[in-house]
Amino acid sequence: MTAIDTTHDLAPEPAATATKVSTELSTGLSWRRSLVRTLLYGRNVDRAGKTKARLGLAILVFALGYSVIAGRLIMFAVLPDSHMGRRGSTQDAVATARPDLLDRFGEILATDVRAPSLFAEPNRIIDVDEATELLSAVLPDLDAVELRERLASKRHFVWLKRDITPKQRAEIYRLGLPGIGFLPENKRVYPNGAEASHLVGHVNIDNQGIAGIEKWIDNRGLADLHRAGFGIDREQEPIRLGVDLRVQHALHDELIAARDKFKADAAAGIVLDVRSGEIVSMVSVPDYNPNNPREALEPSRINRLTTGVYEMGSTFKALTIAMALDSGKVTLNSSFDARGSLHYGHFNITDYHAQNRVLTVPEIFTYSSNIGAAKIALNQGVENHKAFLSKVGQLDRLRTELPESAEPIVPRQWGELNTVTIAYGHGLSVAPLQSVMGVAAIVNGGYLIPPTFLKRSPAEARAIARRVVKPETSSAMRYLMRLNAEKGTATKADVNGFYVGGKTGTAEKVINGHYSKHRLMTDFMAVLPADDPHFLVLIMLDEPQPTAETHGFATSGWNAAPVTARVITRIAPLLGLEPRFDLPTADRLILAAAKEAR
Amino acid sequence: MMRLLNICVIAALIVAAVYVYKIKFESTRKAEQVARLRLDIRREHDAMAELRAQWSKLDAPVRIQELARRHLTLRMIESRQFDQLDNLPERPPDLVPPDSPDPIGNLLESRDVPTGSIAAPRDGAAPRDGAAPRDGVASRNGK
Repeated sequence: MTAIDTTHDLAPEPAATATKVSTELSTGLSWRRSLVRTLLYGRNVDRAGKTKARLGLAILVFALGYSVIAGRLIMFAVLPDSHMGRRGSTQDAVATARPDLLDRFGEILATDVRAPSLFAEPNRIIDVDEATELLSAVLPDLDAVELRERLASKRHFVWLKRDITPKQRAEIYRLGLPGIGFLPENKRVYPNGAEASHLVGHVNIDNQGIAGIEKWIDNRGLADLHRAGFGIDREQEPIRLGVDLRVQHALHDELIAARDKFKADAAAGIVLDVRSGEIVSMVSVPDYNPNNPREALEPSRINRLTTGVYEMGSTFKALTIAMALDSGKVTLNSSFDARGSLHYGHFNITDYHAQNRVLTVPEIFTYSSNIGAAKIALNQGVENHKAFLSKVGQLDRLRTELPESAEPIVPRQWGELNTVTIAYGHGLSVAPLQSVMGVAAIVNGGYLIPPTFLKRSPAEARAIARRVVKPETSSAMRYLMRLNAEKGTATKADVNGFYVGGKTGTAEKVINGHYSKHRLMTDFMAVLPADDPHFLVLIMLDEPQPTAETHGFATSGWNAAPVTARVITRIAPLLGLEPRFDLPTADRLILAAAKEAR
Repeated sequence: MMRLLNICVIAALIVAAVYVYKIKFESTRKAEQVARLRLDIRREHDAMAELRAQWSKLDAPVRIQELARRHLTLRMIESRQFDQLDNLPERPPDLVPPDSPDPIGNLLESRDVPTGSIAAPRDGAAPRDGAAPRDGVASRNGK
């Protein structure tokens, strides 16, 4: 204050004294100056030193300021994108993206769509009651009590509803409530609904795979990627499966029809490419809609082909006879006594189509003789039988991409009785997919190829394949299967033009520890075309009921075989198989060709 | 001299400052543009994904089959309806010479003009049985 006052008083002075003598002026001025200085800075202060210090401080401050600016500039120059570019995508943080799943021709099986989700920040909500009332008016399916509880909580973030429609979003936005917001999230959709459910699997609300191929994707490292904060972008390589959507649909459609027609508990089917091991189609009904995963919890909707194990019945005779032919001890001309019935312990083994005479190997196959198959297996010995089944992968758990798999139920003490029953498919429960793999190895020239749900070329399959039977055995088995369709139990599955070969299988289900005569599991294994196999079709019916059309029978030849025929009629053109007519019979086309090749 | 130099330096400083400001402004604008484009691309991607999902839902075999069942009288295809290209009949000889100046006139003059309609039964022979009009694919064995 004083300093300002003094200078103010001084200001007019020079003007007023301008005309005075200079000496007087100088002495007067110096006196006043010293006074000002004393008042301003105090007595005996080194002004020059102080100025220097102040300058130094100013220089330091400015230098610091500029170096900070320079540093920031360098940062901007070095990391050009760190600031602006990422700003747009911070919203993605919660929305984990998954790769699309495509079928073998690029049709979409599962994809992500962006859907807004509603969240609240309860600590920013002003009037909880008003917010509750307004929100429940727009979203009537939201429980008002629970909603109120959530909004009244002290948390910083709560989800209110995941996946709302754009219309609801607009309405809520118009309410203008503070503390209520939207986040775009990725939502998994399955455009084909239930058709490929067991194969594709499904995800939970946080878009994490919990079943089928979806789970496999997560196990492959996608989950880790998400946890690390990556993988939120859409740009992920889609995963191409080996399944053909059209075939999948046809199989699904036919199986549902068959399940209704025969009032079966369940129906299941697989189409396998025997050259590459690709599973072209896999259906197990009843199934569920992966868009509504809650349905999947019902135990009746399990995937019977990989998660269930079954006694496959007579289709196992194909393995038994293949083993015998491959050993060289038995040829197609060998014969076995199938008279009467076979007593073993307290078991009494009879034939369904009993002939009561000596049967040759092809006859055993076409009449589906249990006694014959049992004698063939006994002829090979228990150890050989066990070793062969192990070689064709029937005794170990089959692992595919699907996380669901089941351990086969193998008898702990494998005696002769076990060999007898297993020879015709009782007493050993395997996953149906597993038995398909085994039969595929027997018809495709002898290569055991682990089945896959992904796309695979025959060349890649050859690289991992293992030879399990000789090529001659394989062609003999193809002959037997074709013969069976020409004049055996599989005639109803012979679709004109596709040269189908097949084997029926009927297993009695174990009810309360006993085999039941009336609760059957029927299956049918078809190879097409039998002279140069490309596909193997398995159709399975669980407890089919006899109908008027089947004359009261409920065995495989009356239900599974005609269903297979219907399926083949539909899918063979889709699979690219050309119908051929007027082909010679099996003994001329397959056996003679095999002999010539040798 | 010094004064002139000072003025020059100050002028240069001002020019540099203005230029730097301009660059900065431009880069901000560009960065914003990039961010906006990124957002647009993302939106387009989302829209594409949604449309593709919709399309595959509309194109799902189960839906097409249901529509066909309801609105068309098509039947399931049979293996007899397929045939190989080798079995296609030869192309019929041209009725009209290819370099004719008046092809229509020639056609009118010629006797048997092929029409799309079914020929009247000649010599009392019955028309081909079972030739449903829908069976467009000629079958070798059907003849």
